Amino acid sequence: MTISRRIFVKSGGLALVSLGLDPLFLARAAFALDRPAVRPSDRPILVCLFQRGAVDGLNMIVPHGEPAYYQERPRIAIPASDVVDLDGHFGLHPSLAPLKELWDNKSLAAIHAIGSPDATRSHFDAQDYMESGTPGVKSTADGWVNRYCQHDREHADTPFRAVAFGPQLPRILAGSAPSLAIDDLQAFGLRVPQEAARDRLTRAFEELYDGAGTGLLASSSREGFDAVQMLKRADPTQYRPAAGADYPQGRLGKTLLQIAQLIKADVGLEIAFADCSGWDTHVNQGASDGQLSTRLRELGLALAAFNRDLGERMSNVVVLTMSEFGRTIRENGNSGTDHGHATAMLALGGPVNGGRVLGRWPGLGLEQRFEGRDVAVTTDFRDLFAEILARHLGATDLGTVFPGYTPSAARFLGAIRR
Amino acid sequence: MPLPLLATLCLLTSQAPAGSLTARDSAFHALNRLAYGARPGEADSVARSGVMKWIERQLDADHVSDSHLAERERDFTILEHDRADLAGRYRSAIRERRLMQREAAAHGDSMRLPAAGPMRELRELGGQLQQLAIVRATLSERQLREVMVDFWSNHFNVFVGKGADRFLLPSYIEETIRPRALGRFEDLLIATAQSPAMLFYLDNAQSVAPGSVPPFPLAALRRGGQGVRTLPKGINENYARELLELHTLGVDGGYTQQDIIAVARIFTGWSIQPPDRGAGFVFRDWAHDRGTKHVFGLTFRDDGKDEGIRLLAFLANQHATMHHVSAKLCARFVADEPPDGCIDAAVAAWQKTRGDIRTVLRAIFTSPDFWAPQAFGSKVKTPLEFVVSSLRATGTEPDDTPRLAQLVARLGEPLFQQPAPTGYAETEAHWVNSGALLARMNAAMMLAKDCASIPTIDDHSRLVDVIDEQLLGGTMSAHTRTVILNQLTDITDPEQARIMAVGLALGGPDFQRQ
Repeated sequence: MTISRRIFVKSGGLALVSLGLDPLFLARAAFALDRPAVRPSDRPILVCLFQRGAVDGLNMIVPHGEPAYYQERPRIAIPASDVVDLDGHFGLHPSLAPLKELWDNKSLAAIHAIGSPDATRSHFDAQDYMESGTPGVKSTADGWVNRYCQHDREHADTPFRAVAFGPQLPRILAGSAPSLAIDDLQAFGLRVPQEAARDRLTRAFEELYDGAGTGLLASSSREGFDAVQMLKRADPTQYRPAAGADYPQGRLGKTLLQIAQLIKADVGLEIAFADCSGWDTHVNQGASDGQLSTRLRELGLALAAFNRDLGERMSNVVVLTMSEFGRTIRENGNSGTDHGHATAMLALGGPVNGGRVLGRWPGLGLEQRFEGRDVAVTTDFRDLFAEILARHLGATDLGTVFPGYTPSAARFLGAIRR
Repeated sequence: MPLPLLATLCLLTSQAPAGSLTARDSAFHALNRLAYGARPGEADSVARSGVMKWIERQLDADHVSDSHLAERERDFTILEHDRADLAGRYRSAIRERRLMQREAAAHGDSMRLPAAGPMRELRELGGQLQQLAIVRATLSERQLREVMVDFWSNHFNVFVGKGADRFLLPSYIEETIRPRALGRFEDLLIATAQSPAMLFYLDNAQSVAPGSVPPFPLAALRRGGQGVRTLPKGINENYARELLELHTLGVDGGYTQQDIIAVARIFTGWSIQPPDRGAGFVFRDWAHDRGTKHVFGLTFRDDGKDEGIRLLAFLANQHATMHHVSAKLCARFVADEPPDGCIDAAVAAWQKTRGDIRTVLRAIFTSPDFWAPQAFGSKVKTPLEFVVSSLRATGTEPDDTPRLAQLVARLGEPLFQQPAPTGYAETEAHWVNSGALLARMNAAMMLAKDCASIPTIDDHSRLVDVIDEQLLGGTMSAHTRTVILNQLTDITDPEQARIMAVGLALGGPDFQRQ
């Protein structure tokens, strides 16, 4: 079968359905063919970090100019003297100090009072909505990143286009567009300790699947073997971070290092996704030091190392943190915080319109709160995601990425430089 | 000499039979679809005794003896704990976690804590649930019932990782799904609606009539509501929406947002007892919306819990429901895009019997679409089907460690861990991607090492013949055969040759199909 991508895209797939062929299958079969020989290294890249467990946005991006913040948090507020001031009203948690440099060179922005229009305080539901991109609608089968990949298949010429770091594909990447879950870059491919034996087995399976005809089994296995080859050439075992970038110990540092590797290997990565957990601070959350501080220090160091490692390459990379909701304004009886509503996110990278706290700040006064207790949501997370997809990755059909919602440029925060 | 399919089918169904398929091909096809694949020699033995006879026996699962499985089930202590017991363990585990968090925070440690005592116990019990599912799928003689348990567990999906569902899921599988897997759809639907696991998963447990107030102190409710920190304030539409969209009518079932709200009002008050009182189903009169609801041409007037029961019985036998569920069954048993013929046959059987699942299945298994040559080998196995069919083909007795469940999870289908209420997909497009295929090849090489059904044979050609017979029911393609033989040419150690050949056969394209 020799369907070129161009022909398929032109015909829109509809004509082919009448032949009784599944358009999805054809699309994927078609994209398996005719790959560009040179992979552009100037392709925009998005890295998403999901802070699972609901990060306390108020202690991450501290509204130190609000008296209510200190009144409500006698034990866990970050003292103004410790806050790394950003604009006189907001400041970074001291553990995020390594990021101040990025704020100063305008490649780091914070987005405050962002969240879901759905009021749920269940981690599970809220994470689900943030990943499906359809708050309030549970039955959405795929994730918004996957839907972006589905509608914008022009770029689907590499198995590494959308990669989740972890043992399983997360909800945000679930769906019909091909995406990879990689637990460990160095162990990707067939697991045979000896290289010669591994190459031989790889070739054997390659041959087996070459005979599988034209179906999805054949095209997907082709993609898989290509991926193995590409990684082999990139040789991830030999990787050394550039510019003395020092990733912190632990899973997050390792993951960001591998994402940097994959970006520099020029294998066509467009979207990377990773989790970092430990944000559900109900008990003894701590202030300038303590539980949350430990997690934020790891995050700050890892992001700073990633930025340093990528150097010039950051000019077309955006890193976005996200979390399912924020936490209560008032500290609880256990010196912690409970499930709240709006939270804060960070965006960094060359394309980011940095040095600013974006979004309308609703204030912490009683009458300004959501349900009398939480930071109100003034930015629907879909507006930020949509802006990044449109203005950074160049998405054109946002309606299909966020069904039931019409993203509008009028609501974009200006997070991406134009 | 096996009888041609023609004769078998003509005898039993008087329908036009298919081309040049042998009785063994038909038996292998039936074993792939109604069961988790053929065990060594099973395709031949089913063909000898008659494939339709075997299908009838599978439909009549209660009369199939299953003593080996019964023996193995005794290893799984989770079956000895009822819901109340697990609820108690869950509460101890939560208490333990809070205590440890408090201590760790006091010492300024990070939150990664080693599990001990109740928490570890609960986690181990949770792991048993997945492993038990694999043991049953592999060993049960009532294969069709196991296949249907998996089907309904996905149709009525509950995510084990959501709060209280960690301890509610075992009784959901054991008491709600398993006994009704081959019963009547209406009974199954009502049982899932009343199951604490579903009530928690889709939030109906917190759905109350707006303005309703519990007749007991708020503190008591707070104590009982694990993880619920605020009082429910009104109706929650989640269950109502998924009931219509996923469980019954289907997304194109012709209902409106107003219908969803009316259905949600009907189910207000369907809730769960606090964990210290057993976490069973309870109808809370005070939370029920007593107003009159009009939906689907029916009127519900202050009739308490019976409103919901009446609505479920109505929905279970709507044409849209019959069509939606029948199409899903046909996607499972016939083809990813099932032909209309088998769906219509299933719907007709449903109408005739008010949703007797056996009769509906029989209609599918006797439809020409099921036996059409293009249906044979047309479906790609799900990760669960791939692993379990490998175990069966290689004659591997699954152990009770979490190893195999972890393997199924690595291949993308962690059992009972699908967060979306859609359950896991049935179609090729969702399971076949480059990473998943590489993972299957790795799994195949691992499983090949334990293969008990293939002896070491010096003659490579003979070895590949036996593998074709035992693992692939004689359906190995000429290409696969050539590639495997080429790979063996320079391997002199017969044990190595065996592992290589079995691994390639299991990891190759032929075995991914069913």
